[in-house]
Amino acid sequence: MTQELASLQVSPVERVKYRGFWTGAWRRFRRNVLAMYGLVFVGFIIVVALFVPVLAPYPYDKIDLAHGLEEMSKEHLLGTDQLGRDMLSRIMFAARPMLLVGFVTQVAALLIGLPLGIIAGYKGGVFDWVVTRFIDFFSALPWYLIVLYLVMVLKPSLQNLILALIITSWVNQCRIVRGLTMSVREQDYIEATRALGLPTWQILTSHILPQVAPLALWGFAVGIPTAVFAEAGLSFLGLGVRPPQPSWGQMLGESGQWWIYKPHMFVFPGLMITLSVLAFQGLADGLRASIDVNVNV
Amino acid sequence: MVKYSIRRLTGTLIVFLALSIFTFVLSRAVPGGPWSQGAEMPLSEEQVAIFKAKYGLDKPLLVQYFIWLRNALTLDFGRPFMAPELTVTQLILKQWPYSAVVGGLAASLACVIGTILGSICAARQNTWLDNVVSTYAVISGTIPSFVLGFVLVYIFSAKLGWFPAGGWSGLSFKNLVLPVVAFGLPAAGGVARWTRQCMLESMSADYVRTAYAKGVRQAGVMSRHVLRNALIPMVTSFLPLFPDMMTGSIFIEKTFGIPGLGQYFVSSSFSRDYTLVLGITMFWAILIALTYLLTDIIYGFIDPRVRLTRRSF
Repeated sequence: MTQELASLQVSPVERVKYRGFWTGAWRRFRRNVLAMYGLVFVGFIIVVALFVPVLAPYPYDKIDLAHGLEEMSKEHLLGTDQLGRDMLSRIMFAARPMLLVGFVTQVAALLIGLPLGIIAGYKGGVFDWVVTRFIDFFSALPWYLIVLYLVMVLKPSLQNLILALIITSWVNQCRIVRGLTMSVREQDYIEATRALGLPTWQILTSHILPQVAPLALWGFAVGIPTAVFAEAGLSFLGLGVRPPQPSWGQMLGESGQWWIYKPHMFVFPGLMITLSVLAFQGLADGLRASIDVNVNV
Repeated sequence: MVKYSIRRLTGTLIVFLALSIFTFVLSRAVPGGPWSQGAEMPLSEEQVAIFKAKYGLDKPLLVQYFIWLRNALTLDFGRPFMAPELTVTQLILKQWPYSAVVGGLAASLACVIGTILGSICAARQNTWLDNVVSTYAVISGTIPSFVLGFVLVYIFSAKLGWFPAGGWSGLSFKNLVLPVVAFGLPAAGGVARWTRQCMLESMSADYVRTAYAKGVRQAGVMSRHVLRNALIPMVTSFLPLFPDMMTGSIFIEKTFGIPGLGQYFVSSSFSRDYTLVLGITMFWAILIALTYLLTDIIYGFIDPRVRLTRRSF
């Protein structure tokens, strides 16, 4: 069905040979400016995060009180914080927790939400009822409330922040996958596979999963900016990354009473949060438009 | 109608119960508690026992829960450990107005700006204006409110001196402007996106074409036919914005030093002040449930079709 749709969308004027769903998706994706910005920026951040020990001019925790709160200079390109730590190095190191939170939470959410959603949507019955109640319950609460509870119970740390975000984000993934599975289940070809006597697991993996995959991928992509946003916010409140490990949100939170006189202390971490959330959001929006998933969010 | 209301009400009650059990169990699942704060002077076993007995913490968990539930039914959520001079209900009523005013104004700002921008986008679909506004909508949704708060305070308070920079000094116009803008503008982007989508959907309807064919001008079609029909999906998603924002943003409250509920919630979860955490959670849940109920009622006002079908229940 998706293949048919995708081939229909190729306008006759262009006369592009149909090379498959993902090739077409990539072609549409490339035309989206925001999505391409997202791709470039995320690639850049990943490179920085991987090679930060080599790239960063100073260690992130090198305290130098003699040069505290300095503005931009040749020695410290983005200035220093109240303890004289180099802002540029700290900002570069902070890319690591950001990416870690973004990807780890969404991979885990996919691993939990996708199978649960497919099974619940296909099987229905008691299992579906239980899963739906869980979804209802978790979506009735604001996400930061759940995160706050867990952080309260487990003590603030990066691991617990990730755990808390996994618990809140699998729900979304599960909901969208379950919804699509329920409508795919009713289609004739699925009934045909059932009539052929295919075992359920094979119907799920080779007939339903390929239909659900684009949507799940979008769910994965759209979860990342939310998680990055959450990490920044909670670290800002002091509930995330523990000092001396840097995080952009935490740098903002720590800039305390100084930032109003030393704007470099909030401008750069704030800019990095905004640019990365925008990049991941652009990627997700671009993906949504290019694989043409119809979702009600 | 009666059957429908009963079903709605039981559903809400079940969510309340589940929520209270979840919070209750979670908050008592941890070793330590309010008495283990201040490790410099640890309390002796004896003192801890006295403390526990005073607050009924020595009873079995199930008994504690039922005592709490019985009191909660009369809106008595107990006294917070940290500030025992007020009951939880009193504390909420004292601090909540700050959050409610800031959040309510911010949500109104978001709805007004968002609806206007979204309508402009829909009316001028696929023009440069649409692109500019749509891009703004995406970008504004990605700026965290606290980052915007920092930027606004820096520009308008520190540099231009239009507003006080020294933090919060009571509810006044000057104190409110920046937090409301910082809180409302990012939300306006989302509102604009949703408005645009709803308007575009209702613009493709047959009666819109008919109206144009009759010779009604675009402004008239937009305001009388398109917007009124687009209002239905819009209201469903904008009304929950109010309780969401009126419960107070922890981030905005920290940035601007507003003594709202969010601040209390964070500090009470740090100090494991169970009673306060439970009380604030239930208060939020009640507020959110009430809005959903209100949304249903308002539905009937703006969409006569709903009124008709409801009566036939």
